[in-house]
Amino acid sequence: MSAKEFFISLFTLALIAFPSAAAARGGNRGGDYRENLQYEGWARLIPTHVKLQYAGGMGLLSAGVGWDYGKRAEWETDLLWGVLPARYADEARMTFTLRQNYIPWSVRIGRRVDLEPLTCAMYVNVISGNEFWNREPGRYPHGENGYYCFSSRTRVHLSVGQRLTLQTPNAGAIRSLSLYYEFGVNDLMLISKFNNSTLALSDIVHFSVGAKMHIFK
Amino acid sequence: MNKFTCVIVILVALLQGCVEYHPYDMHISGSKQVNAINITRIEEACHRRQQIRFAVVSDSQRWYDELEDAVEDICERDDIDFVIHAGDLTDWGLRSEYEMQRDILNRLDVPYVCLIGNHDCLGTGKRLYEEIFGPMDFAFTAGDVRFICLNTNALEFDEQEPVPNLGFMTYEQHAFPVQARRTVVAMHAYPLCDQFRNDEEFQQRLRLFPNLQFCVHGHGHRYREEDIFGDGVIYYECANVESEEYLVFTINDKGYECERVFY
Repeated sequence: MSAKEFFISLFTLALIAFPSAAAARGGNRGGDYRENLQYEGWARLIPTHVKLQYAGGMGLLSAGVGWDYGKRAEWETDLLWGVLPARYADEARMTFTLRQNYIPWSVRIGRRVDLEPLTCAMYVNVISGNEFWNREPGRYPHGENGYYCFSSRTRVHLSVGQRLTLQTPNAGAIRSLSLYYEFGVNDLMLISKFNNSTLALSDIVHFSVGAKMHIFK
Repeated sequence: MNKFTCVIVILVALLQGCVEYHPYDMHISGSKQVNAINITRIEEACHRRQQIRFAVVSDSQRWYDELEDAVEDICERDDIDFVIHAGDLTDWGLRSEYEMQRDILNRLDVPYVCLIGNHDCLGTGKRLYEEIFGPMDFAFTAGDVRFICLNTNALEFDEQEPVPNLGFMTYEQHAFPVQARRTVVAMHAYPLCDQFRNDEEFQQRLRLFPNLQFCVHGHGHRYREEDIFGDGVIYYECANVESEEYLVFTINDKGYECERVFY
C-alpha cells in the first residue's frame, strides 16, 4: 500500500465514522457519551489516567500519566517513561516522551463499549546515553548550520490510530479501560520519504499498541 | 473462532515487522555480517584471476531511488566482479536506514562490501555497522590484489580510538598474503579533509604497502583525481549516488584503469 492509498483509506474511515457519529445528534451528541468531569482548582494537577505502551519509538515498553481536557475530554497530554532493554540496544536505555493526543469522535457500539475511530498524536521523545546529543559536540566545525544539522537525542513522531474503550460497570477508582493501536512515523523517516518514490510506507511507518486506564474522575 | 485466531496471529506477525522500539535500537532484521560473507564470495570468484574489475559507489545516504538505479545499472552489465561502497549509507546512522540500504545492495548479482562513513557513525550507528557489516577496518584479496578498507572518520571517534588504525595497517603489511602482489586502499574520508587525523603518519604507513596502485574514497560527493601528498599516490574520489555516477576499476597485468560511468 502506498502512502497515498493509506491516507485516502484513513480519510475514508474518518468520513464514515463522522456521519455515523453525527447522525443521531441528540443529548449524547450522536453516540458520543464522553463527558469531562473536571477537577476544580489545584486538583486539576491530579492525572486523569495512566498509560502503558508497547513500541512506537519510545522504548520496548513505556508507562506514564496524563491529563484529559476539553468539553468531551477530546484532548490528552501524556508524560511517558520508556525502557529500551540491553537486549534490543547496545546497552539499556531510558526514554522520556511528551505526548499530545486529539481524539475527535467517540461512538457507542455496545452497552459499555465505545469506539474512538480516529486518534491523532504528536510526541517528542528523548533518549539517554552519551553518544546522543541535541547540540553537536564541540569537536565538530562550526558552520552556519552546524555539521549535521539534526539532533540524535530528540525525535518528533506523528501518529494516527484507533481506540476501543470499555466502561466499567460501577463508577469506582477505574472508570474505563481503553485499548489502542497506532501507526506512526518519525521526523527523519518522513524526510526520507521525500524524493524517494521507491520507499514503501511499511519502510517508514511503525506500529504500536497500548492501554489507557481512566482513573478517579 | 479458529479462523478469527488465525487472522489475529497473521496480523500480529505482519505488524511485528513494523514495530520500532527506537530509531537507534539494535533490533536488526535481515542479514548481518554482510562483509565477511561477501568477502568469501569475492575471494573464491577472483581466485588466481589475471584481471579483476570492480565498481565503486559512495555516499548513498537518503538517495534510495538513485541507489536502486545504480544497482540496476550494475546488474545490467556482466563484467563487474564485485562492488565497493565507500561509506555513508545512512544520513543519521538509524537502524532502518542501514536495513533499507543493505536490502537495496543485496539486489546486486555480485558480492559487495561496505565501508563506514562519517554519517554512519551517528547515534548507535557504529555498533549497527559492526553488527550488519562487520569490523570497521578489513581487508580481502581479489586475484593478486590486496584490498585494504579503512575507517578514516577520525572526527567521529574524538581521538578515543586510533583512527585511521595505523596498527591495523602495520598488521596487514606484515601479514600480506603470498598470492597478492599489489595493494589498493579504500576509505571514506580522505587525507587533509575535515574528518581525517594523523595525515602524515598515515601517508608514511600507506607507502609501505607492496606495490600500492591507488586509493579510492568518498565523502566529497564529486569525482576527483588527486595526488594529495604529491608522492605519486593517486586518490580517486567517487561521486555520491545522487550524481548518478559510479567508478569502474580494471586491474590486470598492464596496470589499472579508472572509468567514470554515468547512468
